[in-house]
Amino acid sequence: MSESTERDQRFALLMRAAQAGDREAYARLLHELIPLLRRAVRRQRALLKPQDAEDLVQNILLSLHEARRSYDPTRPFLPWLMAIVRNRVADGARRYISRSAHEVVVDRLPETFSDADPNTIDGPYGDPEALRLAVKALPDGQRRAIELLKLREMSLKEAAAHSGASIAALKVSVHRGMTALRRMLAGKDP
Amino acid sequence: MDTNALIQELADSAVPVRRLPAPWVRMLIWLALSVPILAAVIWLVMPSDINPVAAITDRRFLIEEAVLLVTALTASLAAFGSVVPGYDRRILLIPLLPFAVWLASLGEGCWRNWVALGTNGLTLRPDWDCLPPAILIGIVPSIAMVVMLRRGAPLIPRTSIALGALAVAALANLGLRVFHVGDASVMVLFWHLGGAAVLAGLAAFAGRRVLYWRHAAA
Repeated sequence: MSESTERDQRFALLMRAAQAGDREAYARLLHELIPLLRRAVRRQRALLKPQDAEDLVQNILLSLHEARRSYDPTRPFLPWLMAIVRNRVADGARRYISRSAHEVVVDRLPETFSDADPNTIDGPYGDPEALRLAVKALPDGQRRAIELLKLREMSLKEAAAHSGASIAALKVSVHRGMTALRRMLAGKDP
Repeated sequence: MDTNALIQELADSAVPVRRLPAPWVRMLIWLALSVPILAAVIWLVMPSDINPVAAITDRRFLIEEAVLLVTALTASLAAFGSVVPGYDRRILLIPLLPFAVWLASLGEGCWRNWVALGTNGLTLRPDWDCLPPAILIGIVPSIAMVVMLRRGAPLIPRTSIALGALAVAALANLGLRVFHVGDASVMVLFWHLGGAAVLAGLAAFAGRRVLYWRHAAA
């Protein structure tokens, strides 16, 4: 009997035991398969970075785990395993190509967004007293909504439970309140 | 995650699993689940004016029914084989043969109608009466097929699902053909074969949403 046939039979026995719930046999099988899987991945995706190749090996292990009920111990083990390997390697290559198509290579990563608003680090915070007075000047419903949702940072659900108002009413109130505050702080009446 | 830690995690979570039976056994299980529904719908919906004796003496009808049965069997066998890693991929081609015979038999029927009746023999009309029994016949085999395919490995999801849909469509046609004994072949060609093709195409399109590696989607 050749060495490869012997090895295949050993794997088949271990897998049969793993299918029956033998955790030790399963761990042994997976440990024995690792060098084989690494070699197969290197052969099929020679240009892959070591970390990406290892991710692919782990992906194959997870697929093997998911598909283990489809193995028939009366059939050779390695063709079963290699069909999964080919499938996962091809899938990995497909995902890599589709990810690369959407990537833009830049020399330096930007530290912030290109929009003007997030880049106002030297801008003034505004007058907190004016804000307090503006909030106080709001109608009751709008002030309550601003306090709960913006100042106390409650979720809509929490604020609705706390105030007894409906979520829709809170949304309307907070929107109107914010519009009124912007106008007041910009020097206009609410 | 470290690979050794992953192995340990997988081994710790390994519970006994029930092995999938061989594809031909699964084909028989699927057939056993589907045929009672098929028989029940035919029995319930069959119009009273259909003469069973005329049906079993109609050579064309018998050939088409036999070819449809073989198409359903081979397509389901191929579908179940396609979710077993390492299974011989040549099995995927087997349903093409009965499918081609079915197509040829319908084509020959159209030709005969044309020779006998001219363009009148090729008239198409909508036949909406067929739709409810078609849906009734198709539901259980479709659900059974999807559930059974999802227990295997999604190696070629689109092909697996398309073959499954072909098996369901062939079985449903086998039932529906009973209502069309003596009908013009062009009706069967357009509605039944067309329906089967559309169903298989749509199923193939949705294949990756139905069959996928669950760990990759998690």
